[in-house]
Amino acid sequence: MNSLGDNALMLKVKDGDLDKLGLLFERYRKPLFGFFYGMNKDAPLSEDLVQNVFFRILKYRYLFRGEGDFKTWMFHIARNVNHDHFRKMKWKGKDELEDWEEHLGHHENRQTEFQHDEEMQILSLALDRLPEDKREIILLSKFHDKKYREIGEILGCTEGAVKVKVFRALQELKEVYKKLEKHL
Amino acid sequence: MDNGHIDRLLSRLNTGVATAAERKEIEDLIEAGIVDIADIKTLDVIQTKVAALEMPAPSPALDARFYTMLAKQKQKQRPSRLREFFSWPQLAPRFAMASVALILGLAAGYLLRSPSANTNSRDPQIDALSQQVSELQEMMMLSLLENGSTTERLKAVSLTQQMDEASKKVTSALIHTLNNDANVNVRLAALDALKPYASDSSVREALVRSIKNQESPLVQVSLAELMVALQEKAAVKEFERIVESEKTPEPVKQRIRESIDVLI
Repeated sequence: MNSLGDNALMLKVKDGDLDKLGLLFERYRKPLFGFFYGMNKDAPLSEDLVQNVFFRILKYRYLFRGEGDFKTWMFHIARNVNHDHFRKMKWKGKDELEDWEEHLGHHENRQTEFQHDEEMQILSLALDRLPEDKREIILLSKFHDKKYREIGEILGCTEGAVKVKVFRALQELKEVYKKLEKHL
Repeated sequence: MDNGHIDRLLSRLNTGVATAAERKEIEDLIEAGIVDIADIKTLDVIQTKVAALEMPAPSPALDARFYTMLAKQKQKQRPSRLREFFSWPQLAPRFAMASVALILGLAAGYLLRSPSANTNSRDPQIDALSQQVSELQEMMMLSLLENGSTTERLKAVSLTQQMDEASKKVTSALIHTLNNDANVNVRLAALDALKPYASDSSVREALVRSIKNQESPLVQVSLAELMVALQEKAAVKEFERIVESEKTPEPVKQRIRESIDVLI
């Protein structure tokens, strides 16, 4: 029902009724922010990336045909925005110590603010320790309600391949979680 | 593959003793859609936890930035309004108006040409032309009333005053406007445009019925004045209701009472 609504809204945006993007923003700013925050643990950066996603949605609205799911199209853009950002950062060599300190400081604040539950804290830490591709597939699965076929469209692979990727990522997450649980 | 073997494989995986070959076998089963991730207990537990993992919310600054960007984009979009101007729903009334102006011009030119050329006092072509003009005016008026902005609706109402004689369709549209238009000025203009047709009993009755629909004091007073001018005694009952209503302001009640006195 929501997806139908999403597509209808996006088609209106495509036809020039830009105010309708506000409704889509209200619906998806939180999951998108959650996805980026899960990937980089940097709140201001995640906000920049969410803004960037909506900017691209506006810019490329003429490409939306309404055949697929809007959410899938949006997460496809989100993934590209994330990759583009980190490719640019790598090229600039920006990952300096001060940036990391800033990230960690912020991360800790956020942790105490939002993850009171110890079990959830360990899970969050375990997720951070996964390789980027595995963290990404778990977050996509979380924010895309385990719709593996749609995730396959985002990643450009089959539904079966997505399931295997999720299986491997969850296996690793389980192992890291167990190790952290023993040490903390 | 038998279910017993699959159960054994999953059990070994859940207890952490599965070999690499067994894991690969499970992966193949998952890929083929024979085994679901939710069937693997230990993974299902961790996936449920991930689903419940709370993520922080963005700050209100993000909202501000997004809506600023949206406003900028809307500003940029404005030049393309030209395209909108030429889109059919907007263009139709304009096109009709241009056609009316052109036909009116042609008709005027035809009528004002030298008297020697104008041999017949009444040409059937002129009649046909006048008929077309009226029809176009009517069409344009109805279209503007239905789809136009307040200014366009006012223009539509004033168009009826240029018509020699409004059709039933036009008077019905005016009555509908008088009863339902959101703008008081448009309702007042519709009332004004209906005055010449008040001699028609159906219009008169519709005007009396309209009294109870009006909440604007301006329209109520204008209707009262019109009823006095028409000496329409049937309106007294409706006006008495307005006077009795608590919503009606005292000066309006006073004016309507005066009208009732005249009518009685």
